[in-house]
Amino acid sequence: MNCQEFWKTIPELGDFEGRLHLMECLPCAARMNRHRELEAGFRAVAAGCRRMEAPPRVEARLRAAFRRQTGSESIAKSRRWIPVATWAAAFAAVFALAAFLVRPRQPEAARPPVQRTIELAMLQPQADYDGFIPLPNSAGVAADEDDMNLVRVEVPRSAMIALGLDVSADRAQELVQADVLLGSNGIACAVRFVD
Amino acid sequence: MASTAVETDDELLIRMQSGDEEAFLALYRRRQAGLFRFALHMSGSMPVAEDVTQEVFLALLREDCGFDPERGTLSGYLFGIARKLVLRHLERGRSDVALDTDSDDFVQPELAVVDDPLLDLTRREGIDALRRAVQALPRRYREVVVLCDLEEVDYADAAVALNCPIGTVRSRLHRARGLLLERLHQERNPRQALGTLKPVRCVS
Repeated sequence: MNCQEFWKTIPELGDFEGRLHLMECLPCAARMNRHRELEAGFRAVAAGCRRMEAPPRVEARLRAAFRRQTGSESIAKSRRWIPVATWAAAFAAVFALAAFLVRPRQPEAARPPVQRTIELAMLQPQADYDGFIPLPNSAGVAADEDDMNLVRVEVPRSAMIALGLDVSADRAQELVQADVLLGSNGIACAVRFVD
Repeated sequence: MASTAVETDDELLIRMQSGDEEAFLALYRRRQAGLFRFALHMSGSMPVAEDVTQEVFLALLREDCGFDPERGTLSGYLFGIARKLVLRHLERGRSDVALDTDSDDFVQPELAVVDDPLLDLTRREGIDALRRAVQALPRRYREVVVLCDLEEVDYADAAVALNCPIGTVRSRLHRARGLLLERLHQERNPRQALGTLKPVRCVS
């Protein structure tokens, strides 16, 4: 073993060849002694510093920091449930809605169609009470005159046709004002076109 | 808790992260002294060493502390944080000063051998000389000496702390020891050391 090989084996010096080289090579032995002295010096320095440590106030500060941290963490952990709960509620709502929509339904009884237009019979127009035209199925205007209400509305001019009045086709969609007499039962009794 | 005495650092860390204060304190008490001494040897300042020790554990408290057991031990990781903090202090240029032993908090080191007064004196001088030599090393060599030779951190942990391969740790340590021997030799034999100096110019 030459010097270079010897120093390459550091720190593994337990082998026989290494010890033999130190016995034969004085420079390496001297250098090795210096290294051992240095190691002993390191151990002495380390031993001298062994009792050195952070002052107790550091531990106290860290303990306080840990308590703050874990306190805020527990709040954070509880807050983590908020989105979970929100999603769960949303999912439950969607599920309930889906269940409502897909549930088998009882067939509903046929409802009478909503009467959107006033059913007007083709009667001969009879002028009555300042131009009011009595409507079919009504008892007339004169029967209970005191309880009647007068309502002014706008209706398409085509409504006049149903009452037998002459209306040109190109003006059928125009709106005209009409006074409607309502009986005490709320049923229209007669109508009068203002124009 | 009695079980903390045999628990590994990783086990304590897991318990600490689940909010166990005793585990945190057990981990702190186990590791704080080494970190404190490392920071003290590196910075030469007691207040800096105290700050660094505290900051290391505050960093560990953070949720995103970044410790990965796959990459090395917790000890190496903590030394790595301490090193970064010390370097930050050194870069600020506030604390690269001689070891401050006048502080009230400084505990006077006990010498290993105290029976022989003469030997004690010799030892004390030798220790002081070595400590000064370590302090005077360039930072990259100082940190590896402090870690491996003074704190006896193994090479693998030192590599994690220094963020370099183990081979680099070995080579830096070898170089650092050579520099220390050279400096100590010069201190013991100042005449020889002077002989190595070459005059550049004579102004007289």
